Amino acid sequence: MELTFLLSNLLEDPSDFIIFLGRFHPLVVHLPIGFLALAAIAQWATGQPKFYSLRPFLIYLWGLGAASAALAILLGYLLSLSGDYDTDTLFWHKWSGVAVLVSCLLCYLVFKKQKDNHRPMQWVFVALALATMVYTGHLGGNLTHGSTYLWEYAPNTVRTVAGLPPKKEPRPKVTVLDSADVYLDLIAPMMEQKCTSCHNTGKKKGDLLLTSYASMMKGGDHGEVLIPGDVQASELFRRITLPEVHDDFMPSEGKRPLTQQEVAIIEWWISSGAPPNGFVTDLDSEKKTIQTITNYLGLDKNTVLSREVPPANQTTIDSLIDDGFIINRLMKDNYLLEANFSLSEKPIALSSLDLLTDLKEQLIWLDLSNAQLTDASLKKIARLDNLMKLNLSGNPITDKGLQHLAQLTHLESLNLYHTEVSVGVLELLPKLTRLQRIYLWKTKVTDSLAHRILSENKNIKLINNRQ
Amino acid sequence: MSKYHNFMKRPLSRREMLGICKGGFGALAFTSLFGALPIGCDRKKPIASKPDLYLGPHYLPKAKNVIFLYMDGGVSQVDSFDPKPRLARENGEDPRKKFKVDATQFDNVGKILKSPWDFKKYGESGIPVSDLFPHIASCVDDIALIRSLTSKFPEHTNANYFLHTGSGIQGRPSMGSWMTYGLGSENKNIPGYVVLDGGLIPPGGLDNFKNGFLPASYQASILKAGAEPVANIAPKEGVPNLQEEKLRFIEQMDHSLMGKMGEVDAVESAISNYELAYKMQSSIPELTEFSDETKATKKLYGFDSDDPHTRGYAAQCLLARRLVERGVRFIELTCPNVGADRWDQHSNLKKGHEANAHAVDQPIAGLLKDLKSRGMLEETLVVWTGEFGRTPFAQGTDGRDHNPSACSMWMAGAGIKGGTIFGRTDEYGYRVIENEVTIHDLHATILHLLGINHELLTFRFGGRDIRLTDVHGHVVKDILA
Repeated sequence: MELTFLLSNLLEDPSDFIIFLGRFHPLVVHLPIGFLALAAIAQWATGQPKFYSLRPFLIYLWGLGAASAALAILLGYLLSLSGDYDTDTLFWHKWSGVAVLVSCLLCYLVFKKQKDNHRPMQWVFVALALATMVYTGHLGGNLTHGSTYLWEYAPNTVRTVAGLPPKKEPRPKVTVLDSADVYLDLIAPMMEQKCTSCHNTGKKKGDLLLTSYASMMKGGDHGEVLIPGDVQASELFRRITLPEVHDDFMPSEGKRPLTQQEVAIIEWWISSGAPPNGFVTDLDSEKKTIQTITNYLGLDKNTVLSREVPPANQTTIDSLIDDGFIINRLMKDNYLLEANFSLSEKPIALSSLDLLTDLKEQLIWLDLSNAQLTDASLKKIARLDNLMKLNLSGNPITDKGLQHLAQLTHLESLNLYHTEVSVGVLELLPKLTRLQRIYLWKTKVTDSLAHRILSENKNIKLINNRQ
Repeated sequence: MSKYHNFMKRPLSRREMLGICKGGFGALAFTSLFGALPIGCDRKKPIASKPDLYLGPHYLPKAKNVIFLYMDGGVSQVDSFDPKPRLARENGEDPRKKFKVDATQFDNVGKILKSPWDFKKYGESGIPVSDLFPHIASCVDDIALIRSLTSKFPEHTNANYFLHTGSGIQGRPSMGSWMTYGLGSENKNIPGYVVLDGGLIPPGGLDNFKNGFLPASYQASILKAGAEPVANIAPKEGVPNLQEEKLRFIEQMDHSLMGKMGEVDAVESAISNYELAYKMQSSIPELTEFSDETKATKKLYGFDSDDPHTRGYAAQCLLARRLVERGVRFIELTCPNVGADRWDQHSNLKKGHEANAHAVDQPIAGLLKDLKSRGMLEETLVVWTGEFGRTPFAQGTDGRDHNPSACSMWMAGAGIKGGTIFGRTDEYGYRVIENEVTIHDLHATILHLLGINHELLTFRFGGRDIRLTDVHGHVVKDILA
């Protein structure tokens, strides 16, 4: 009496322990799949004389299949008590699972009775068992991963057969910030990556759907999860910012949490009123947010390194080496080059600078220190717009030559140590958007000028002394 | 193979043919001995076409050169970069009652010994440094400090071999040899791997700097910072051209020998070494002539110090910078002889460490600042380490014994995240308890910064493709920028 009371009590309010057991369902469920597949194969094989000797064992395979299916059904039932699953699919999954068990038992009984196990009639039972198993398994997959999971990457022909619309063309990768849409390019991909594996039409944990803007705004069991303009009141934001060990933390079950950057972007989106669309740059946002988004979308990466470049012309390289250059490959799987003139014993020839232009595609590092370069010769360097590192130290160059460098927008490091440059640097730097380091010791850049340069170009490391 | 068939002419095997095509330059070197081909101790690099055998960095390098500041004898970590207040609290107590004490070299375990120096926090990063290194302390924001280096050997010779070659046993190629082998040298007139002799050759001797089974061109050349940096660098011949005539004669002899023996490293390397030695007659005096350095630069390094050892090490450091400017790949500085038996203070810790620190502190800081101001630190990796650490308890009353279980070291420059501390020791600084960095990890990290995947830089010897890191080594990613 007490036991049944306890049990019924448990069934109404399933304790953690029951769900704990239930979570073994996805593991155990693979046993009947394996056993039944094996049984069917063995069934077929024992038709061949070579495998006659296996016949007595066939029924055990069906028996094992039935037993494991029974266990899987039991655990599956316990798991279903958590109520996290789409009820329709669950209903069919449950009963087709039972059908697997029944057809297994039928096979078992039939083969036990009849020793001659190759009558066409018997194949009907085998086929039934296999068919119900495949169907049940498919529904189970839909429950866990969402009904679109299987066909998501299927070729369009397959998708049409399955009665699905052709694949969604992925949104073209954002290449400029101005074209980034706040929901489609930021929020939706984030949800897809981190949230929709549980909050989809099949699984709908907490009755919350995060697959579209409308369903997001609708909320879940506990009402709305997003309050436009109010970050603190938004349950979604609370859940993703709790400590990871907290029960309410999302994504749960040890799935990969959102990164700090993603959280920051979601926070900004909610506080800007959680708009369903609109260009990022149209929304009123601080410089810091723009920076975060630029970085999140990978727009601030130097694209120089990601290009595949063709090998450089060997004749050009040979002539440059004859002119006193050292030319090195910089990586194994690409033909990017560095050119170094600093060890040359001769002054640089203008013709060499022309030759360098032939290496424009490949050349990313250039060292022309102490080469007696003039302002005019810098004009030729301006064409090398893939340069990431440029060393012009020890050359009598001035602001006049410096202006030619404005086109080198991929520069990360510029060495002007021991040159004649001064205020020209102030004009140049805003154009070199990727510049990280600039060396200005022994130039005409005074401390106060350096200060000004730094205050106008915050992210730059400037070295103009030896302390 | 041909080693065992000396003086027998026999056809080239397929294997040898390939070997010569990929690495042999003997024949080319003959033609270039007095010519202009840039060969030196570098290998000919096919750049444009896709070569079967790729030479050069595997991925975009951060560092082009390495300056290895070797602190011979083992600096005490708890007196330099790893402050342990508990040592002061428990000063004079029996360490055996506090923790398990490993066997020490001299089996003369004394009491827990607090550091005779105070620590202060420096820079924006606030890394604590002891009063031993006030100058280096001013550069902490450019330094990544590793407090968790360990060694496998508690004794100098093996520990030195381990640190330099990745193996505790004599005979393996030194890391500098591996790096010049992997990347070649930029300068055709100066060797790619140079050891600047400060006066003390570390225990284990020159085998620390040898090429092992790598071609002999990749061994270290030892330079002294002084009047005659390399022995017999000035030609002795009174008659002009006599030296060249002699060399031409040797060239003929070698040529006929090569005809008989095939391409043997001993001959190939001898030829390239002769060639290089000839060029060094002019390149070395120019290198070691400091007259074009300003007074301020010399002062920065410590040339005007009262301490002759500081002056000596300052010259080494300045020379190191000049070598980097000339494209030398790997430069190791050994310690000056301050009369305290290296950093190996088994007794008289205070006096010995102070003398050593005084000699190296200002020159090293000068080097770092000088490199930084010229933009060279961006491409140069500076590594500072001993072969192991020292015990937190005394040996006798006022010394410290060897301790391979914890050692502090630092790196600065190319690709290094300045102002970082990595790894942790226990409250006594005796053992590493977090993020251990082995010598193999250190080698893997240095190679990584040079753009080399330590698992891909191999040389076939004894039937195996052997690496500097053997079968070990993980890049310490946390200290990388």
